[in-house]
Amino acid sequence: MELTELIFGEGAAFLANLARYIVPLLCIAVVVRCVRSMLRERYEPETWAYLYLPGEIMVPLRHWECIVGRARNTDACIEHESIDKLHACLIRDADGAWTVYDLGRGETQVNGEHVGPGGLPIEDADVLTLGDVPARFVDLTEEERASLLKYRHKPGRLVRPAGTVLLLNVLNILLALEQLVYNPDAGVLAAMGFGALCVFEWVYLAVLRASGQRGFETELLGFFLSTIGFSVAVSSVPGAVVKQLIFLAAGIGLFLFFGIWMRDLRRMKKLRLPALVLALAFLALNLVLAKVTNGAQNWVEIAGFSFQPSEFVKILYIYAGAATLDRLFVNRNLLFFIGFSAACVGALALMSDFGTAVVFFTAFLVISFMRSGSFATVFLALAAAALGVFLVLTVKPYVIARFQTWGHVWEDVYGAGYQQVRAMSAAAGGGFFGHGAGNGWLVDIVAGDTDMVFGVVCEELGLLTGLCCVASVLALAAFVVKNASGNRSSYFVIAACGAVTMMMVQLALNVFGSMDILPFTGVTFPFVSRGGSSLLACWALLAFVKGADNRANASFAVKRAERFSGGAGVEEDDGPAYDDSDDDDGDGWHRDDPEAAR
Amino acid sequence: MKKVTTRSFAAMLLAGLILLGMGIYIFRLVRDGGDWAVFYANDSVYANGALNRGTVTDRDGVRLAFAGETAFGYAEDAAVRRACLHVVGEQSGSIGTGALSAFRAKLVGYNLLRGTTGDGGTVKLSIDADLNVTAYEALAGRKGTVLVYNYETGEILCMASSPSYDPNVGFDPDDPAYEGAYINRAISASFVPGSVFKLVTLAAAIENIPDLYSRTFTCEGTMDVDGTTVTCTGTHGSLTVEEALAHSCNCAFAQIALELGGDVIAEYAERYGLTTPHELNGIPTAAGSVEDAGSDRGNVAWEGIGQYNDLIVPYSLLRLMGAIANDGVVKEPTILAGAITGTERLMRSDTARQLRSMMSYNVENNYGAWNYPGLEMHAKTGTAEFGDGTSHAWFAGFLTNSDAPLAFVVLVEHGGSGYGVASPIANTVLQQAVFG
Repeated sequence: MELTELIFGEGAAFLANLARYIVPLLCIAVVVRCVRSMLRERYEPETWAYLYLPGEIMVPLRHWECIVGRARNTDACIEHESIDKLHACLIRDADGAWTVYDLGRGETQVNGEHVGPGGLPIEDADVLTLGDVPARFVDLTEEERASLLKYRHKPGRLVRPAGTVLLLNVLNILLALEQLVYNPDAGVLAAMGFGALCVFEWVYLAVLRASGQRGFETELLGFFLSTIGFSVAVSSVPGAVVKQLIFLAAGIGLFLFFGIWMRDLRRMKKLRLPALVLALAFLALNLVLAKVTNGAQNWVEIAGFSFQPSEFVKILYIYAGAATLDRLFVNRNLLFFIGFSAACVGALALMSDFGTAVVFFTAFLVISFMRSGSFATVFLALAAAALGVFLVLTVKPYVIARFQTWGHVWEDVYGAGYQQVRAMSAAAGGGFFGHGAGNGWLVDIVAGDTDMVFGVVCEELGLLTGLCCVASVLALAAFVVKNASGNRSSYFVIAACGAVTMMMVQLALNVFGSMDILPFTGVTFPFVSRGGSSLLACWALLAFVKGADNRANASFAVKRAERFSGGAGVEEDDGPAYDDSDDDDGDGWHRDDPEAAR
Repeated sequence: MKKVTTRSFAAMLLAGLILLGMGIYIFRLVRDGGDWAVFYANDSVYANGALNRGTVTDRDGVRLAFAGETAFGYAEDAAVRRACLHVVGEQSGSIGTGALSAFRAKLVGYNLLRGTTGDGGTVKLSIDADLNVTAYEALAGRKGTVLVYNYETGEILCMASSPSYDPNVGFDPDDPAYEGAYINRAISASFVPGSVFKLVTLAAAIENIPDLYSRTFTCEGTMDVDGTTVTCTGTHGSLTVEEALAHSCNCAFAQIALELGGDVIAEYAERYGLTTPHELNGIPTAAGSVEDAGSDRGNVAWEGIGQYNDLIVPYSLLRLMGAIANDGVVKEPTILAGAITGTERLMRSDTARQLRSMMSYNVENNYGAWNYPGLEMHAKTGTAEFGDGTSHAWFAGFLTNSDAPLAFVVLVEHGGSGYGVASPIANTVLQQAVFG
């Protein structure tokens, strides 16, 4: 208060009150800008090779993993009666070498040689015979690919990321002002923390722009959610500002590391098994060392640092659980994955961390469905889960009590409904715009800044801000799905879907659990809930989302095509100037079909 | 690839469920947000367990309760504090049926848009504090209640309940004089109605006995019904139905009740809202009960006279008076000044007209119009026998003065005769209500 009074004098309270109304509007502006950018940018597939059918009919191969067949949902559809619905599979590895696998009766040949169970390599100008159809395989040279790349649109022109960062900066400054005025415990350090967030954002943008990256919606949403989370942390424990900043920086570091790591699919695939082992080791460690906190024994303390191993297992689980297309055709792999998932969920249930167990189980359902496409697998898993729940209820009767409170929290405001009724009361009290950052009371109740964080956000920053947080996570999910078809490998699609599923389930359990729409399980809201392990894990999961962003030059997590020619690739140009208000359809796309360039 | 990417819509299914959940949350927030926000744990609006904002005034702006700088306060005048206690309620929540509870969301200034981030609000009651004081003082320490409402607008002008106490002082819980002081007798308790219930039996008779007006009833002071003796207030001899009501003749009404049957009487009581709970500005009221005495003819006779197991809530009787005055349609009462309320038809308009004319006949031919100078009084007395030999004194009715369309109910527990005790109180209060 002294600081703001020094600078603004009597007007500090007035300015803070004004900021109260501006903050939710800024949040909306930030989210809308990111979503608009995601919606309006083009999602153009890459082209990696061609099949030339008799009559010089050209079929482009747009992924690293392509199924060829008669069925419409194949990647290269060839309508000929001698070809099976799913006939063969062409897979390109990270080095550019292609392999053909036969998916049916063995009527696939490369240069007259039958493709056996192990597949056959195929190179430029080879003849791939599918049934009775001879197709010429044409691999693109790097120069050709580079020239094609010119015709892909680069994101970031329609909604400029710098503008969004500017809005985020204003948001940070206003939150700092509110904290100084409303929160008697927030001092200079907290204000500087908000300043540090601004610096993080600009440094991040500058460094990645300088290295040629163009798409930033994913991480800007991450920054937005982290900013709200930072405000909650300042409200809750003003003294822990530095710690929170260090975790945020570490999270961003982990995000970058993972993203860069994902550029090399071969490297990723190699480490899947070690990741799986590490995940199980973490869980075992947890079971052995954990101390019980709030009913669940999900914390481990080593050398004075306490952390939640299950948060890191989330990353490893996705890492090990996603798979490339070639693995999807082998049932044994799926069974192995089911076993791994059962071990993870089982271990979490043993720790009584049922919320996280649900997060893993839902991710399992999504990943296994994506891998197998089989509803039967999903139903079997659900049946098994129902059995598991039944077992849990018989072994751990206190879980039943939680279910009994569900929907009746107002009948037990001193007991099992204590936290929920307070979260609902505070959230309703905040109205659309909130009491102001640092001006709430809910943050002081048990787990206010973690499990009840949606209530805290609604109370202090308003319902609009709370809805923006929810919308951000949903936007990430929609972005992944929208972008899925442009991906090189199914690994990235599955991993990204797994990651956004985890975030969404956490969001659902956090918001609906605290607002008595679902049983209360005590799960964190991605990025927003206070806590180092959870923040780190969220940023790392965000790397999987980034890895599925296959727009031209959009993602540092995707190896760029021009890099194949030793870095002397296409020069960076913005192409024809677009302004923010233009129509991005029609006339902007004057170069027609990229294939015509050949 | 395509097969895998199409399956990514599984993730959108989850997103759809979250949108659904958010829809449920928003729906509940819109519906119940006010209740959530006024929960006592909301430190934004409570200081030391008391509201830190909000004011309740009477219809003339007299402050009845308010959040002061340091503590919660009540009306300046001690007499007003006592007389309005039940309608205002108490900050501590001891009286859950008062305005402080019912309009808490408005007092804390809650609305969906601003939550509790703004200033508190003012609730202006339709109550006239001075009239409440007059009513409370007319009850003179006896237990009971006085209700007056405008049957055209629905506004309740007077709702006093005794015993009451000064909320600034409190009371000695061991003192029998304060027994049940937390209860608003007007809405939260039910009492034996006695003869005021004859209006219900009469209404049923009007609609079910075609030759009612050509009948004559004979009263010999007592009447034997299958071994049960029905005693009357006098020996009335031969009576028309108007005279039977004016003299509140038990023998005549016993005959009517027996002819109608206990089930019909119970059904009419329910139809007139005497046995169902109501809501007064969202405050739930108690329900009365009228039990069908079945095949026991003696009890059926007493059921029709308002004894047996009959119990009614003064508030529901007030609604019935309003309906009779208003051609059978009740304008729902409110304690909020200027509030718009709904209406409900309780009885046929010709039934209401006949009851009205007979209630006027009561006053002209028995109670004496000179007892109510300037008032176009229509009423019915009740002297309800209580098990211990005492009687509840009732007086219920309405005025047809064009500038004062008021209905009223006065009850004095164990007070004695309705005519002797309750009627003068009604006159005192109504004189002030109409002539100031």
